[in-house]
Amino acid sequence: MNPALGAADEHAASYVRSEPVPVPRPVPAGAASERTSRIADEFFFMCHDDRTGRPRLFDSSLAHGLAAGLLVELYYGGRITFERGHVRVKDIRPPQDWLQHLVLDRIAAEQQHTATRVWLAFLGSSAYEQVAQRMWQSGLVRPQQAGRFWRQRTLYVPTDINTAAWSSARLSQHLRNGRSLNGVDLALAGLALHTQLDTTLLDGASPAVRSHLRRLVEQSWPPLRDLLADLGSVVGGAVLSHRTS
Amino acid sequence: MSHSTTDTVSEVLARGRLGIPSVVFFVIAAAAPLTVVAGGATTGYAVTGVAGIPVAYLVVAAVLALFSVGFVAMSRRIVNAGAFYTYVTRGLGRPAGVGAAMVALVAYNAMQIGLYGGFGAVLATFLRDQYGLHVTWWVPALIGWAVVAVLGVLRIDLNGKVLAVMLVAECAVALVFDAVMVGHPAGGTVTFDTLAPSHILAAGIGAALVTAITGFVGFEGTVVFSEETRDPRRTVARATYIAVAATGLLYGLSAWAMSVATGPDRIVDAARTDGTDLIFNLVSPHLGSSIVTVGRVLFITSLFAALLSFHHTVARYLFALGRERVLPGVLGRTSRRTGAPKVGSILQSILAVVVLIAYATAGADPIVHLFFWVTVTGGLGVLILMTVTSAAVIGFFARIAHGEGWWLAFVAPLLATLTLTGFLAATLREFDILLGVDAHSPLRWLFPATYAIAALAGTAWALVLRATRPQVYDAIGLGADSATAPLRRTDSFRLPV
Repeated sequence: MNPALGAADEHAASYVRSEPVPVPRPVPAGAASERTSRIADEFFFMCHDDRTGRPRLFDSSLAHGLAAGLLVELYYGGRITFERGHVRVKDIRPPQDWLQHLVLDRIAAEQQHTATRVWLAFLGSSAYEQVAQRMWQSGLVRPQQAGRFWRQRTLYVPTDINTAAWSSARLSQHLRNGRSLNGVDLALAGLALHTQLDTTLLDGASPAVRSHLRRLVEQSWPPLRDLLADLGSVVGGAVLSHRTS
Repeated sequence: MSHSTTDTVSEVLARGRLGIPSVVFFVIAAAAPLTVVAGGATTGYAVTGVAGIPVAYLVVAAVLALFSVGFVAMSRRIVNAGAFYTYVTRGLGRPAGVGAAMVALVAYNAMQIGLYGGFGAVLATFLRDQYGLHVTWWVPALIGWAVVAVLGVLRIDLNGKVLAVMLVAECAVALVFDAVMVGHPAGGTVTFDTLAPSHILAAGIGAALVTAITGFVGFEGTVVFSEETRDPRRTVARATYIAVAATGLLYGLSAWAMSVATGPDRIVDAARTDGTDLIFNLVSPHLGSSIVTVGRVLFITSLFAALLSFHHTVARYLFALGRERVLPGVLGRTSRRTGAPKVGSILQSILAVVVLIAYATAGADPIVHLFFWVTVTGGLGVLILMTVTSAAVIGFFARIAHGEGWWLAFVAPLLATLTLTGFLAATLREFDILLGVDAHSPLRWLFPATYAIAALAGTAWALVLRATRPQVYDAIGLGADSATAPLRRTDSFRLPV
């Protein structure tokens, strides 16, 4: 797949647990971070095969993970925060990105719903298409019909394999080398951990790498952890109440 | 801040919500009515030798309705409402909760694995009669096992529409059979002997009651849907009562109709001679062979639906316990591609195949020794769970502030606890009759003892967790919600320690 992963494995072998990794500082709110932190896009790439665009994760987990990704974007943009299972709006200035704008508008307009889980469920119902749209508009993916007859569906195939593989490769390498993570990577690591994507991300890595990931996420900012805990519960709940419809 | 009057969120989330009929369908279909009518009731007559099976079904339905009053009310107030051990944790404390979880694991595994005996034997008979194929019971049982194992890992359960069609067909066939049997009574007169309330006090009724309870296992599944219904307050409660009433009446009616067709004094002997063929043999002189064949096929498909349903139940229990880390965390992982609780599913399949191979090697009877013995042992486990859960409902409502009336929060659960305790005592006293073994046989203690061991092991493990891993201990009973436990300790309901 990606040569970077092979190199990372060698590092992982010599990985020795060192001092607790210092907690990275929150990404400051501002225009610069808004442009870079399209966390849902990066998570979308991580959840799909970088060549074929086929999903690596089951539907409900993927949908809720992307919904959480959109919420993290707004949190990093300083617009909302999470407290004890509820979303609180801090700043209703419209974000530049249309999708962030759309989500923030909805949250601000329907403040009778504050539970993070309600928003994960609501955004989860449309997040996949919306994030894919945003990525298509940015030229990151292109839609392609796949499957035959009744199994026909749209795949979003990455336009550039390297761009698509980059998020996973970078995160995987950082984790396997026992490094600390910046805000974006920390959010991605948390999303991976709570959607059960971590098995793919850390395929073949030692248990120490997984506990490193877990520790980083556990030491992150309380609002992020609060959101991720709800994500984990929603994904687990979907497993428990699943029915083939 | 703008406050809109529209509520898109509620509208979107309301899509695909379940109404009463869907919940009833899911639950009754999982209980597999034809399995109970053609398999459970007939084998119950044969093994226990008790003629009061029909009245036992009706009595049990009434008691389960009473049990449901507090159970459903409590289900609205807790997370992870699909599992009995959550109720026990909330009402009686975490050590009792883990004890209940272990009992539940044994019970649902017993239900599932026992059904393979019925499935294998009934399918083998069907293949012999219809196509002249001679196979031993464990061949079709193992094929069924393989299909369930694969569907389990792929997280495929039976489609709601398929289940609904099967359920309607099963009920229609059972009702037609009942009408035919009542229309052709033995000796020309319809008698109501097997419905006489006097059977309740007769010898062997404990065995009959647990046989009846076994037929209802699965009805408790309504509460799993509480978060997905249009109106959680009413839908789940009504669906539960409808499911219990409908199945109770169908079981009681069918078991009684069989006794009418054979004559109440001959029903036990007839069941011993014909086994699971009894109902089909009774109606075949009066009905076209095609409808009887349809009945036989539906019997097999209903057994399969029940097998698959209990397989998923066990896998999800293991998943919830793995999520809480009460059991190894690996059980709380899902298959990446399908989202199936993979490890739990595989574990259940391994256990089932080991038991199947053991039975096949020992040459034991698939219907009596596997289907009946093991599923009624599962029924006993569910009876234990319901008894303890009822007590837990009282404990729960005594501890929280609530607006429910006395009937719902105290009287109904208390009556249910007392009645179920009485059932439990009668069942344990008559377990030899239930198994059809000698009163001094060690087997009569061996099966119930499994639950005592499971409960003690679970309780002891909870105490070990309290001493060594307090974080895990705190999350007991939260199931998939355990991820939020370290962050929001005070949010959850007040728990007894």
